[in-house]
Amino acid sequence: MNGSAGPLLCLALLACPAAAAQGPIERPPLEAPLPGEPIAAGLAEDTVEVKVNYSGARIVLFATSPFGEDPATGFAVALIGPSAPQTVLRRTAAGRERFEFVAAPTVFAIGAEPQVAETVTPETMILAGLNAAGSAMPEARNLASPDLALWRAAFVELKMDQQLYSLDETTIERLDGGLRRVRINLPANAPTGVYRVRAVAFQNGQRIGETEQTLTLIRGGMDATLFDLSRKHGVIYGFLAVLLGSLVGLIAAWVGRR
Amino acid sequence: MLIHLPIAEIAVDPLIVAAIGTGVGFLSGLFGVGGGFLLTPLLIFYGVPPAVAVSTQANQVLATSIAGASSHWRQGAVDVRLGSLMLAGGLAGSVLGVGIFSLLRYLRVVDATISVLYIVLLGVIGGLMAWESVGALGKTGGDPGRRTRLRGWMRGLPIKRRFPRSGLYISIIPPIGIGFVVGILAAVLGIGGGFILAPAMVYLLGVPTRVMVGTSLFQIIFITGFVTFLQATFNGTVDMVLAFLLMIGGVIGAQGGAAAGRRLKAAQLRLLLALVVLGMAAKLAFDIYVAPRPPFELEALA
Repeated sequence: MNGSAGPLLCLALLACPAAAAQGPIERPPLEAPLPGEPIAAGLAEDTVEVKVNYSGARIVLFATSPFGEDPATGFAVALIGPSAPQTVLRRTAAGRERFEFVAAPTVFAIGAEPQVAETVTPETMILAGLNAAGSAMPEARNLASPDLALWRAAFVELKMDQQLYSLDETTIERLDGGLRRVRINLPANAPTGVYRVRAVAFQNGQRIGETEQTLTLIRGGMDATLFDLSRKHGVIYGFLAVLLGSLVGLIAAWVGRR
Repeated sequence: MLIHLPIAEIAVDPLIVAAIGTGVGFLSGLFGVGGGFLLTPLLIFYGVPPAVAVSTQANQVLATSIAGASSHWRQGAVDVRLGSLMLAGGLAGSVLGVGIFSLLRYLRVVDATISVLYIVLLGVIGGLMAWESVGALGKTGGDPGRRTRLRGWMRGLPIKRRFPRSGLYISIIPPIGIGFVVGILAAVLGIGGGFILAPAMVYLLGVPTRVMVGTSLFQIIFITGFVTFLQATFNGTVDMVLAFLLMIGGVIGAQGGAAAGRRLKAAQLRLLLALVVLGMAAKLAFDIYVAPRPPFELEALA
């Protein structure tokens, strides 16, 4: 920080409470909700069952704009999977470097209307929880790392390669009265767990409302039976796997003999 | 139509998976190798997580080995006594191999060691087999000569037993020793070891090629059964749905491979196996030393 920036920062800090004391906050026109206030929305289905014939799903969200059909209002919607620690490796001449993210969404799909892409800054998207790279949280000691952006970008690229992150496949459709229909693709390799579907409304680059719905991805049918058996009764599962291999082999041998 | 795999957690086309199983099963029935060294990279290439691919291929190889071995069994081409000795040596060797693997990992040289060992081993075995079998093709087209210098040394070893199926009267030390060395390599390299065992039986022990295939498959049955059980029990990485799809194609391929093998001369069979082994060595060398590798990669979640 240079010499003149310090006093300026102090002035700014002093000015804020002073401004608050002057009177009520000036509200945007048309009595729009405050930034971060909930907006009406709902998922067509809040549970997706993963069975043997599951090959991905399409999630549909309906959300209403606080300003009706106002063309300046736009939505950005993200599907955020359960968080898990993840590690990125980098090959260098000296060997391998590791960078750990203590928590990062396992799945991330985002879509935005053109108004959002044109007016909202990346910083605002990060603050709104709608930035894939910004959602990957490093260890505390690496928060100030100069390479953080590089590692985050590499992480997002790798997740996109796995088709678990998508930045351009979510579609937002405008219906009558400011209603939006959002279609988000859930990949076939998405892990089970509780997902968040986060929709944020923006106007002139500013966040004016938001909503968050939960979506549960659960196993069902034979998929659930086999998974639970392998995790809770590994010895029985192992025995069954050997039995299956032996049986198929013996049946094939018998068929071959005939 | 796609099918969701419960353990791998991906959706796959069952026809493609069955086709992969058929191709590898054919080679298994033809050469008496498990085919894991081909199946694992193919599954990973198709998008199956590596840990699941490594474990599940053992389950598939179990089925194809039973189907392939049964075909050779009916023709009296499985030497159970010889196979059992090599199996005993193999199990002991794999215990030592796991220890060596841990040591290499502790020394942080496991990746480099495995890569070099794989390429050298495949290259040397494949090269020698190709050299010998091309020479044999010009002569009788049968098995390599039984009275080599190395085998002369082996004939002097004690504890001799008869192995009527193979027509051998040799010490039990070399079969156990070969099984032991293959067991070490199998544990260090993470493979079944069939492609090392098969030529070792022919060139070192003098087992006829016809008996070698069935006996090798006989041993692989027990190793893959053991590995499948351990991987499923302790790591939970065996996907039975994926394994079943692979087995369906694999057992059909194994029967076809065994039938095709009967139409080939022994030297032709060895030459084909040599070409497969050399091809694998060339591909590995290319992947490691020539092909561009991405600078970043995601570490698999435990």
